[in-house]
Amino acid sequence: MSTVIEANGLGKAYRRNWALRDCTLAIPEGHVVGLVGPNGAGKTTLLGLATGQLTPTRGTISVLGAPPAASPAQLARVGFVAQETPVYARLTVADHLRLGGWLNPGWDEELARRRISQLGLDPGQRAGSLSGGQRAQLALTLAIAKRPELLVLDEPVASLDPLARREFLRGLMEAVAEHATSVVLSSHLIADLERVCDYLIVLVASQVRIAGEVSALLASHCRLSGPRRDPGTLPAGQDVIEESHTDKQSTLLIRTGEPVHDPAWTVTPVSLEELVLAYMNPANEIPARRPRLGVAS
Amino acid sequence: MIEFQLDETSGVATYLQLVQQVHQALRMGMLEPGEQLPTAQQVVAKLVINPNTVHKAYRELEREGLARARPGLGTFIVRAPAGTDPATQARFLATMTDWLRSARSAGLGPDDIEAIYRTAFRTCFAEGAA
Amino acid sequence: MIRLSWLQFRTQAVTAAAALAAFAVLLAVTGPHLASRYAASGLSSCHGGSCGNVAITFLSQLQTTNPYPVVYLLGIALIIFAPAIIGIFWGAPLIARELETRTSTLAWTQSVTRTRWLAVKLILTGLAAMAFTEALSLMYAWWADPIGKAIDLGGSTSLFSGGRFSSLVFATGGITPLGYAAFAFTLGTAAGALIRRTVPAMAVTLAIFAVVQVVMPLWVRPHLITPVRTIAAIGPVPGNSQAVGLDYGNLTAVAVPSQPGAWIISSAAVSPAGQQVTELPFACSPGAGAKADNPGQCLNSLGYREAISYEPASRYWPLQGIETGIFGVLSLGLAGACFWRLSRRRS
Repeated sequence: MSTVIEANGLGKAYRRNWALRDCTLAIPEGHVVGLVGPNGAGKTTLLGLATGQLTPTRGTISVLGAPPAASPAQLARVGFVAQETPVYARLTVADHLRLGGWLNPGWDEELARRRISQLGLDPGQRAGSLSGGQRAQLALTLAIAKRPELLVLDEPVASLDPLARREFLRGLMEAVAEHATSVVLSSHLIADLERVCDYLIVLVASQVRIAGEVSALLASHCRLSGPRRDPGTLPAGQDVIEESHTDKQSTLLIRTGEPVHDPAWTVTPVSLEELVLAYMNPANEIPARRPRLGVAS
Repeated sequence: MIEFQLDETSGVATYLQLVQQVHQALRMGMLEPGEQLPTAQQVVAKLVINPNTVHKAYRELEREGLARARPGLGTFIVRAPAGTDPATQARFLATMTDWLRSARSAGLGPDDIEAIYRTAFRTCFAEGAA
Repeated sequence: MIRLSWLQFRTQAVTAAAALAAFAVLLAVTGPHLASRYAASGLSSCHGGSCGNVAITFLSQLQTTNPYPVVYLLGIALIIFAPAIIGIFWGAPLIARELETRTSTLAWTQSVTRTRWLAVKLILTGLAAMAFTEALSLMYAWWADPIGKAIDLGGSTSLFSGGRFSSLVFATGGITPLGYAAFAFTLGTAAGALIRRTVPAMAVTLAIFAVVQVVMPLWVRPHLITPVRTIAAIGPVPGNSQAVGLDYGNLTAVAVPSQPGAWIISSAAVSPAGQQVTELPFACSPGAGAKADNPGQCLNSLGYREAISYEPASRYWPLQGIETGIFGVLSLGLAGACFWRLSRRRS
């Protein structure tokens, strides 16, 4: 399977501040990727590097097998919706569609018009007088009608009300179903991500904490609860991501490749939200993956 | 055509919910062999979920032999699930009744038994197979 | 990209066209009357030294007849200020507004590179700016032609005193409006690209352009081509047509003999001892005796001469070309600064 975004030791610094550091990713195509992290973690920087709006300070990044924004042909393969979904306030909705047609050789006029009428947008209305949800839908239409192979969206629903958010995601998912587009979507709203994402990246303090397919992540993590115990006594191959103790009880969130056999533990599955929160918590130190030992020492 | 629902709080994986709803509809006669399942686009337009989830559910149904994808046309039900025969059901009913009796005499109340049952049920079906 | 540039430029273009049309109407209504007044004055068939007085009469009458003084000043003001307005309202927002409203993230993630986006916008709007300002200039030159001719024939009043070399008029005639327009426009866009906010960019553009408009005529233009220096006899001296006419208030030359239409950059009376003087010596002052009746001849007989630094009339077009060329080069440099600032290597 080919990758949509491949990054190797990618880093971006502004003066002496590293907005993104040591980012190594290989995101497979055909997924809806959720990029989660607190504000200021580096999500916008990563997406800016992926769309070619920023250039790396260190490391490399390639998108759909080529350097981002290297040529008009490469620009045509990636659609982008920026934070706050900016539009030209004094141009009408129809003007924006004309803009899309003029600037994109792959523009699908019929698709754009169909979406606009389905959304109930008035083509003659100035974009500046649209509601936040309508503006977001207009921006999404422009990105989709370009028929890109990859759609990148930077917190597109952050400032929308729940209904507008749901409608936006509906439009996005319909586009993915219709065109098999890969999507990278950043957000700090985990509930939305649970519905639509099947690949997850958690970014905290400029670094990637975890990345992988959601089903694989959920299968490789579980919650252990039982009588109070020192996490150091766990066997190799069980990495503690998050721990909490009372005087009598311990609850651990662990990453493991194998089923847990210790009868002292009650094992329960972890939800995506619990997983994301654990990895987002800066207090939790994420152990590096230890190589599997063949024989217990 | 069947219309899917999504229970976000059940803890059951979305694709499994879809599979279960197809089983249910077949059992109740609301879906019959030859009928088309909704396209991924239609499901996604209603439920706002990842289309891959729908594909995963339909692949599972294909694996179970209940559905078949016809390229360019859609996914269709090919047969109804075999109902479990009464002998098997009676056997498990007996085992369950014995278990319940011994749990009760060990001092477990209805709430304890319910909790144990739900935990075991969730673990078993969330993993997809015991 | 051309159609998008036009779509975004539409409003400004219409405003400019309306202003141009209104001004054209004003000139068309008053121009023919001005021309007929000139024809009636007899200046067109006049030759020789007496024309000066006829010209002064013509211009004095014109100065007190509305609307001609108003239109005259309005035209000069429009052509002087047009580049500044273009720089502020067409140039500064071009890049800065896109960055401020973040529509740049929309414009630069379509299928067009930033370079192409900027190149098309700069070229189209820049050409429009140059065309607009030059159109103003050409229309006005047609209207003000009679006045210019009268001034060339020696006429001068308090209002109509600037020949085509004068500070205000030089920058409004010929081809220099093209240079000023291009410069002000690219100055605005560069300010916007570097400052990244529209209103501060507008202020900086206005400030820098105003300074340039003052500095150029005062300190740069006189040195674009090394002026001709000459020492001439002071007139009027009977039989000496090479004698220079003076303004006897400060002893500066008012014309250079056999150099009609020359641009006098500086001039001063020089005593036989080589010192510059700005006042009539006592011997030639009024009331000093019979010699004072003809101050020019008096100065001449005492050995005074006039040192003049000037550009001959034939240098009008070369000077126009050099000044326009300087602004052309500056414009290219400023445009280059925009490309450099926007290039992805810098982000």
